[in-house]
Amino acid sequence: MAQRIDPEAFKARLERISELFAGMVSHADEQAKHRCPYKNRRDQCTAQFGCRNQSPPLQPAGLRLCAAQDGELDYRSAWETLGPEKTAALREKLRR
Amino acid sequence: MAQLNEIHNEFIRQEIEENIERPNERQRLIDNFAKSRPSMQAIAAALIEGEHATVDQLTRAALDEGIEALEVMDDGLIAGMAVVGIKFRENIIFVPEVLACARAMKAGMTHIEPILSASGIDPLGKVVMGTVKGDLHDIGKNLCIMMLRGAGFEVIDLGVDTSPDRFIDAVEEHRATLLGMSALLTTTMPNMGKTIEAFIDADLRDQVKIMVGGAPVTQDFADDMGADGYGKDALACVTLAKHLLAVK
Repeated sequence: MAQRIDPEAFKARLERISELFAGMVSHADEQAKHRCPYKNRRDQCTAQFGCRNQSPPLQPAGLRLCAAQDGELDYRSAWETLGPEKTAALREKLRR
Repeated sequence: MAQLNEIHNEFIRQEIEENIERPNERQRLIDNFAKSRPSMQAIAAALIEGEHATVDQLTRAALDEGIEALEVMDDGLIAGMAVVGIKFRENIIFVPEVLACARAMKAGMTHIEPILSASGIDPLGKVVMGTVKGDLHDIGKNLCIMMLRGAGFEVIDLGVDTSPDRFIDAVEEHRATLLGMSALLTTTMPNMGKTIEAFIDADLRDQVKIMVGGAPVTQDFADDMGADGYGKDALACVTLAKHLLAVK
């Protein structure tokens, strides 16, 4: 006989999953204030884009390393490829 | 109270021994895993490692054996994710590892979806998500997708650097009623507005609600572009999605 799931029982599981994920997202927000979110536990960069903090990988086919020190660098500015002046000008233009 | 050595799976035993320090959490995990089947522990272990192909295979096998879907969720997928949450909180793993684990969970849930459907349980809504053209930053979008899926939405992830045409094609193909766009750079933010204009030009704007987000995006900017909603983070994204689709 094909399985069936009780909707209320499933809803309870979704609530548990949402609770777990909400905790993770809150921690991710907090952690992002001092550590780049693309940096994995091996201090490798998982981003698909260029960043000034990237350094060559240890293995030829491996992920690039992140040279940023947690808590010391404003990593987001390293992602802006236009440079600070052009970025500020564009922000001003968008604001207007 | 169960003992650690009552857990069949060696990897799970090691994870608890090495990474779970709070006594109440440790005992709760030991109690839960000690009473779960070895096959459920194997699913949890693969999920903790972020091995989505293994979770996929083991979940399929468990359901084929006749194990109840709710047991697979409780003792395999959710039990594994609970360990992931603790390791993340303790800074043992970071966002990229968490997202790999979420991907593994999705691989398992894919096999449960047909059972949900047969049980008359529909997704809360169908959402197309992507980072706009020219933007390769995807962490925020991926966290939103994790939250949306966890809340019961079906999400079609278009990835990064998504052109207006791809957004339109995906919304039409999947008959999605909600579109989420993300941008992290000030230089790519205007592409959100261009995508909304493309929906207007294609005469599809009335068929889909559009929500936007990303670090430089503001409510004012979202309003100016003509978006239906702005979410400041992944938590707000779920609330906004429910609001826009009138989900209770």
